[in-house]
Amino acid sequence: MLGDLLFVPFVAGLLITVVLALAGAGLFLRGSVWQALALGQWAAAGGVLASVLHWPVLPVALVLGAGVMALLQRSPDRERLPLAVFLAGLAAVTLLAANFPQASLAAAAWAEGQLYFAGPHELWAVVALGVASLMLAPGLYRVWRYAQVAPDVPAAPAPPAWLRLTEIGWLVAAVVLGSMVLGLPAALATLLLPAWGAAYLARNLRGLFLWAQAIALAGFLIAWSLSLPLDQPFAPVLVLTHAALALGARLVALAR
Amino acid sequence: MTPQPALAILRAQAVHLGFDRPVLGPLSLEVPTGARWALTGPNGIGKSLLLKAITGQARVHAGALELGPAARVSLLAQDHPRRQPWPLCGHDWFRAMGATAPGQPRVQALLNRRLDRLSGGQWQLLRLAAALHSGTHQLPQERLILLDEPANHLDAEVRGDAVELIATLPTGATLVMTSHDDDFLRAVGAENHPLTDYLDAR
Repeated sequence: MLGDLLFVPFVAGLLITVVLALAGAGLFLRGSVWQALALGQWAAAGGVLASVLHWPVLPVALVLGAGVMALLQRSPDRERLPLAVFLAGLAAVTLLAANFPQASLAAAAWAEGQLYFAGPHELWAVVALGVASLMLAPGLYRVWRYAQVAPDVPAAPAPPAWLRLTEIGWLVAAVVLGSMVLGLPAALATLLLPAWGAAYLARNLRGLFLWAQAIALAGFLIAWSLSLPLDQPFAPVLVLTHAALALGARLVALAR
Repeated sequence: MTPQPALAILRAQAVHLGFDRPVLGPLSLEVPTGARWALTGPNGIGKSLLLKAITGQARVHAGALELGPAARVSLLAQDHPRRQPWPLCGHDWFRAMGATAPGQPRVQALLNRRLDRLSGGQWQLLRLAAALHSGTHQLPQERLILLDEPANHLDAEVRGDAVELIATLPTGATLVMTSHDDDFLRAVGAENHPLTDYLDAR
């Protein structure tokens, strides 16, 4: 596939899948799946808004995503507020698409996914995020592990504030870039479903991360190898594949 | 020469405690370093609230609540509901609590098991062991261990292990616990301190 037109999209998709699977395991441990929906939707709103304003997509999506995450972090409500913010983001995209022709095209691209059109810019952004993820992994792991103990309190000090802020910033970057590369539904499916399936199969925390990666990568490879020869859009095939794999993981765990 | 009084690891002076508004106080007490205290009293009097205020989970609305300068606090909360599914094992729990697992066979047997598949008694024993062994790298006199109703959920199978874990705490470490279980308090050798004795307006 080297030199192939689809090489760059394939590598970008594979790398962002690894990052999203890690983020998904983290969101699962934080109990923040609703936040992911709201964050992803506002990243899409940022992308659509950028198309209207003729601004670069990634910074606008990142700023809106970060704003939403900052708002959600200030509230103890883990369900209703994120759901309301998600619906508001959906409404914002719909209104923009109804009033601006270029917004309509951008909204369709975010909804359907545009992995086949990922270019060197997206690839480099994903590589940079992947490298950052590798460097941050021990700190992220520490934050997520600590998040499990409440309401008990350990004698060991809590992760420092800068590390917790870095974790939130990294999650925002992962969801925004994932939505940009794979499309919003595919990115959310890669975030949420492999971690969900992995939570049933894993014997421990390390197993959760490994199983989430295995399921996410298997889903990506299956969807890639099905959608191209069958001439189907990638994102919906990926969503269905992840759903089937997560359900399969649940059934395997039940049968044990 | 008169003996020096033990230094206090925890001192409360006319504190008013609560969440959004004060519901307990004014309360004044001093817990000496190395003490084994059982705070007793009827339900709802504020025993758990005091423990939460010490760990920063509840607010101090007035007065002063001070810990010793090097004190590190661990807390076993009254309840810890488990999510389903929750893919953590006993080893993960001890790491999260910054604790080293004790050698007790019944605790060791839980280390490789998923937390969401333990019985209520096993889960309580594991949490208790982790709270008691959190921060063991520190000097015993710097450790303040708070146990909120540690005898809850303990069945006959693990009750003896729980008593042994508490009874073998190193001398110098301070223990403050709440419980309605008099037999349990006697077994662990805790001094009885009714919370009402420390309410200033009693």
